[in-house]
Amino acid sequence: MTPALSRRRLFSGLGAVGIGGLVAADATAMSASAANDPQIVPFRAANQAGIVTPQQDRLTFAAFDVVTKDRAELVRLLKTWTTAAESMTKGQLVPGGETDLQAPPADTGEADGLKPGNLTVTIGFGPSLFDDRFGLASKKPAALKPLPKLAPENLDPAYTGGDLCIQACADDPQVTFHAVRNLARLGAGTVVLRWMQLGFGRTASTSSAQATPRNLMGFKDGTRNVRAEQTDVLDRCVWIGDETDQPWLRGGSYVVARRIRMYIETWDRDYLADQQNVFGRYKASGAPLGRTDEFDTPDLGSSDIPDNAHIRLASPEHNGGIHLLRRGYSFTDGIDATGNLLGGLFFIAYMKDPKQFVTVQTALAGDALNEYIQHIGSGVFVCPPGVTPGQYWGQGLFT
Amino acid sequence: MRSTTIGLTALAAAATLALTACGGGSTSGSAPSNAPAGAGGDVTVALTGDGCQPSPATIGSGAVNFKVSNKDAGAVTEAELLSGGQMLGEQENLTPGLDGGFSLELAKGDYQIYCPGAKKDHWDFHVTGDAGKSWKDNPVLVSATTDYGKWVTDQVTRLVTGTQAFAAAVKSGDLTASGIAYGQARVFYEKVEPVAEIWGDLDKNIDGRVDDFDNPADFKGFHRIEQAIFETRKLDGMGPVADELVKNVTSLQQLVAKATYQPAEIANGATELVNEIQKSKVTGEEERYSHIDLLDFKANLDGSMEAFNLLLPALQKTAPELARSVQDRNAAVEAALKPYAQSPGYLNTGYVDYSTVSKDQQKVLSQAVNALGEAMSQVAAKVAQ
Repeated sequence: MTPALSRRRLFSGLGAVGIGGLVAADATAMSASAANDPQIVPFRAANQAGIVTPQQDRLTFAAFDVVTKDRAELVRLLKTWTTAAESMTKGQLVPGGETDLQAPPADTGEADGLKPGNLTVTIGFGPSLFDDRFGLASKKPAALKPLPKLAPENLDPAYTGGDLCIQACADDPQVTFHAVRNLARLGAGTVVLRWMQLGFGRTASTSSAQATPRNLMGFKDGTRNVRAEQTDVLDRCVWIGDETDQPWLRGGSYVVARRIRMYIETWDRDYLADQQNVFGRYKASGAPLGRTDEFDTPDLGSSDIPDNAHIRLASPEHNGGIHLLRRGYSFTDGIDATGNLLGGLFFIAYMKDPKQFVTVQTALAGDALNEYIQHIGSGVFVCPPGVTPGQYWGQGLFT
Repeated sequence: MRSTTIGLTALAAAATLALTACGGGSTSGSAPSNAPAGAGGDVTVALTGDGCQPSPATIGSGAVNFKVSNKDAGAVTEAELLSGGQMLGEQENLTPGLDGGFSLELAKGDYQIYCPGAKKDHWDFHVTGDAGKSWKDNPVLVSATTDYGKWVTDQVTRLVTGTQAFAAAVKSGDLTASGIAYGQARVFYEKVEPVAEIWGDLDKNIDGRVDDFDNPADFKGFHRIEQAIFETRKLDGMGPVADELVKNVTSLQQLVAKATYQPAEIANGATELVNEIQKSKVTGEEERYSHIDLLDFKANLDGSMEAFNLLLPALQKTAPELARSVQDRNAAVEAALKPYAQSPGYLNTGYVDYSTVSKDQQKVLSQAVNALGEAMSQVAAKVAQ
C-alpha cells in the first residue's frame, strides 16, 4: 500500500495546480507504475469503467434500497461512495484512518496487500429511485421503467429490483467483495442491501484481446459480443447519446441484470447433438453449426442451425440489428431445497435503451434453451456517465 | 450476550489473532502505535510453560499494544491483563505457533498479566505517569463515568430483586407466574450485560445457552429455567437452579459495587449492546423457548442509549455530527420497534410474542439496528480523551 499512499500525498500536494496539471501528474504516476502492471483501471473518464473495460474474471453485484428520506443524505452518500470507490480502484484503503486504537478502522482490511486487480466499481439507478421521495421525477428518463414480464421467468422478489446497483468487477474475488462490503458499510443508515450476487467466472469477452470463456453449460458464450474496439456499435447500441430525453445521462448506459438459473443436472444428461442444436454451435470448437471456426459468421439461412436455436433467436440479424454488450458471470449459491445445484448465469448487459433487451428476450420466448433455464431475479438500472475530476457519482441528478 | 465473548474488553478494540500458524515471526495484527513518544507503546508477552513475563514490565500511560506470542507452550494459550482482579483485555486460543495481541488505553496504575496454566501465572505490570492529556482532565467525562457506575449498580440491584422474585415463583411451581417473572428479572441483566461479562464465567452461569455447555447436564442460569418453563413445561428440579442463579446475580452485585469504568469502555459497551440486538435478539436466538426477544431488544437498546447519553455532553463538543447521527438512528430503531409494542403485551413484556414477527419484519428491524451500530462504534474514539 505504500506506493499508493504516496500517490495520494502527491495529489494533496498539488492543490494549487490546475486540472490539467493534476491529470498530467496522474498520468505520470500511472505510466511509472505501468511497468509493474499496476492493474489499475482509471476511475475517472467520460464513461464509467466496468462497461467496455476488458471483462475481469470476478464479480460482486449488489442492489440497494435507499432508506433515508433526506435528499441531502443521499447526496452525501454518493459523494462518500465516489471517494471510497476511487480509492479502492487504485488499490488503496477506504480513506478515514486505520490507526486510532479506539475506533474501528475505516477500511475493513481484507483487500490490504492485494493488487488492485483491475477493479472497476460501476453505479446504476433503478426506476424506483425516481419516485416522489427525493424530488427526482423530472430527472427520470422515459426509457427507465420496470421490465415487462418476459418468458421464461419466475422472479424471486428477494432478487429483483432496487433503487441503486453497484457492479464491482476485478480479477480477484476478494477485491470485488471488499468493494461492495465497504460501500454497504459506508451506506449504513442511508441504504440497505436488497440483494447481492457473487459471480465466479466471466462468461463474455468485451475486448478483442480476450479469449471466449465458457458458461456452466460448457459452451463458449459471447462469441459475437460487442467489443470495446467496435466504437461505432457502442455509439449506436450501448452509450446513451443525443436521443435521450435526459441530457445528464449522455455517456451513460442502461444495465439489465438477470439471475438465470440453469437446470444443470438435466442439461448434463442431454445428448450432445441436442445440446449443440439448443445453442446452434458445436460444443468443442464453438463454431456455428455448419461452419468450422468459432468466429465464423453463423449461416442463419441454413437449416444446420435449427429454427429455435439460441444463437439464431438472439442474433442481431433476427432482432433488427440490435446488439447488447454482455458482461455476465457464472454463479452458484450451493444447492436448492431439493438437493439440486443452484447455479447458472448472472446475466449482465449494457445497452442504449432497455427496450433492446426486451426485444431480444421476447424473441427468446421460443428458445430451445428455455427447457434448461429460468430467470429467477431481475434488475434494470441506468448508469450515469463517468465522473470527471471533482465530480461525484450521479451529480447530474442533483444539479 | 454469548458468554464466550470478551465483554467490556472490547476496550481491547484491536484484539487480533494473527493467522500465521506454522510461520511465526509475522507482525500482522500489530496495530501501529500512534501514541506520542513516552506514552504507551508495545509490550511483548511470550507465553511459555513457566509464565508470561511482560517486556517491558513498566511503561508510560497511553495506548499500549500487547503483542502476545506462543512459540511452543502447549498448556498455556491465553494472556489476560488484570487490574484489581478485573479483566481489561485478553488474547485467547493462542496455540503454539500463533501470535496475536490486544491494545488498550491504560492509565497509571499497577496491573497484572495472567496466563492460566503456567508455572507462575501472574506477572506484575506497571504503568507510570500521566503522559499528555487524559479523559480524567475532562470533568464532563469524569462525571459520566461515575454516573454510569451508579446507574449500573442500580440496575443490578433491581436484577437481584427481580431474580429473587423469579426464584420464588419457580419454587412455587407456578408456570404462569414464573413465565412473567422471568422477563421482569432479565430485563435488568440485558441493560448492563457487557459489564457482567467482565468477570469470567459469571455471564455464562447467569445467561449461557445450552450450546455454551459442553455437557448439557451442566446447563444452568436463566435460560435453563426458560427451557423448563416454556419447552418442557415442568419446573421439577429447578429450585436449586434458581437458587444458584440468585447467588450468581448477587455476586455480580458485589462486583459491580467496586467497579470503575473509562469513557471508551462505556462507549464500547454501548456498541456491544447494539451488536447483541443484531446477533441474538433480532434472530430470536437468545429467547428461543420464551420468545420474549423484543423485551431483551428494548433493554439492550435502553442500556446502550443510557451509556451514550451519559457521554453525550462530551461527544457534542468533540463530534456533534456523530452525536446527531446516533440519535437519529436510535430514533429509527425505536420507530421500527413501535409496531410491535403492546400493553401489557405478551407475558407483560410490553411487546408481542417474537415468534409472530415474520422474517421480512425481522429484516427491517435488523437493518435499523445495523445502522445504529455503525454510528455507535465511532463514539469511543471521540471520548477517549
